[in-house]
Amino acid sequence: MIAQQIINAVSLGGVYALLALGLAIVFSIVGLINFAHGELMTLSGYALLACLVFGLPFPLAVLVAVSCGALAAVAMERVAFRPMRGASVTSLLLTSFAVSSLLKVVFQNGISARPQAVAMPGWMTGAFSFGDFTIGVGPSISIVVSALALIALELFLRRTVTGTAMRAAAEDFNVVRLMGIPASRIIATAFLLSGLLAGLAAMLWVAQRASVDPLMGFTPVLKAFIAAVVGGLGSLPGAVAGGFLLGIIEVLLQATLPGAVAPYRDAIVLSGVIAVLLIRPQGLIPAVRAQRS
Amino acid sequence: MLSVEALKIRYGEVEAVRRVDLAVDSGEIIALVGANGAGKSSTLSAIAGLVPAASGKVIFDGADITGLAPEAIARKGVALVPEGRRIFASLTVADNLRLGGAVHLTPPEARAREEEMLELFPILRRYHRAKGGNLSGGEQQMLAIARALMSKPRMVLLDEPSLGLAPQLIDTVFDLIAELRRTGLTILLVEQNVALALEIADRAVVLANGEVVLSGTAKELASSDLVRQAYLGA
Ligand SMILES: Nc1ncnc2c1ncn2[C@@H]1O[C@H](COP(=O)(O)OP(=O)(O)O)[C@@H](O)[C@H]1O
Ligand SMILES: [Mg+2]
Repeated sequence: MIAQQIINAVSLGGVYALLALGLAIVFSIVGLINFAHGELMTLSGYALLACLVFGLPFPLAVLVAVSCGALAAVAMERVAFRPMRGASVTSLLLTSFAVSSLLKVVFQNGISARPQAVAMPGWMTGAFSFGDFTIGVGPSISIVVSALALIALELFLRRTVTGTAMRAAAEDFNVVRLMGIPASRIIATAFLLSGLLAGLAAMLWVAQRASVDPLMGFTPVLKAFIAAVVGGLGSLPGAVAGGFLLGIIEVLLQATLPGAVAPYRDAIVLSGVIAVLLIRPQGLIPAVRAQRS
Repeated sequence: MLSVEALKIRYGEVEAVRRVDLAVDSGEIIALVGANGAGKSSTLSAIAGLVPAASGKVIFDGADITGLAPEAIARKGVALVPEGRRIFASLTVADNLRLGGAVHLTPPEARAREEEMLELFPILRRYHRAKGGNLSGGEQQMLAIARALMSKPRMVLLDEPSLGLAPQLIDTVFDLIAELRRTGLTILLVEQNVALALEIADRAVVLANGEVVLSGTAKELASSDLVRQAYLGA
């Protein structure tokens, strides 16, 4: 029971961490909080549904769905944000709201406002047990996938030239351009990574719920946003820490709150967030930055 | 090699640079001097493409580069060492250097160039794996210059390389600038330390309130009354 709760907490935290990282990567480079991040997640969910309906084998369907999230993020930057380059933060924010609302309407009218069942493979909902412990396969896979994604991202940012340039751009974007590195390459990569992470998070989310609906991305991305702020907006280690912290606290409260108080779980979590920000306004692990373009 | 014609720069309503004309020939050091707020940094930023020109032209190697993106200008062989060094504090010295040559050189060329830079700046070899932010001001200035040189530029724009450095470090930096010129590099040097700048430069341009008030050979300027009274404290 306790082991299962811990697994659930870490698995939920991992999903929040992936989403918060996506928000943080884009914010650290372009100073934009992308409210349409949740719709990238929803889109990947629908892409998975479509692939499975068309009879693609499960691993291939996942691959296509995650790629759809990544490509959609790049396309979103091209179409909606690039023409706004140099605009104020408020205009960018409004643009991302507009993109988010537009996509929701498209999902509602183009597909359906009702949740669609996704036929996940049977083994995903299974469990394995050691001695007294029973542990769900789904949450375990979720933890492994999140951990691998975090490691891969870390390697990319540390070991490749583009990754190094992205860390530099988070500090001082203009100087990266002075080195001859194109701004558009850095920004496109930031969106590509955020879309990949949103796509992966969508797979983990759908795996636990076996359905997709037009508002699927809203709640997890709202939580991820909170996680990113608690961690220190624009700080990548902060986003990961914030994501896990939020996931663990939520599951902990869920498991321990008496029935009468349980509906106030989110209110309690948010009060905690406010308390953290009062004590550390820059977040748990503040972002380093010199100048913004 | 570089010519700036009737350059005007505005920040909103403020006219930071009213009119600057200057020309730099291949292999020369030109000093751009003037008081704080005269528009020196703005002029260099406009040449490098970081701020737009409100009017006027920047010509490099016969091609009009006005309005090009900073990354495009960098690829043509113009490197800016910005005011305040602006090294990447959270990156190692090695990574700072690597980014300097990232798009200009193939990986083996970049390694060879990095080795040259470490020869030229032994201090950077000592702190190769240290974070840029942990270096002292002088070391950061060396790193900023080395990072710009990584791309094997044909021209460098140096913005106040002596700012905030101890006197013996200033000498080191200026010796280095002289050495760079001997390798054939063309240099546009912005300095508030006018005496030092005139010592090293071939020609100089004096800027006041966004306008060129005087220009000529370094020798002429060093003996001109205006420069002696206003900048050399004589
Ligand atoms: N980003 C900016 N926004 C508004 N005004 C600026 C900006 N940068 C410089 N200025 C103004 O332009 C003028 C010239 O500045 P600058 O080019 O930095 O001079 P210098 O390098 O000669 O000290 C100054 O009055 C300065 O306040
Ligand atoms: Mg200046």
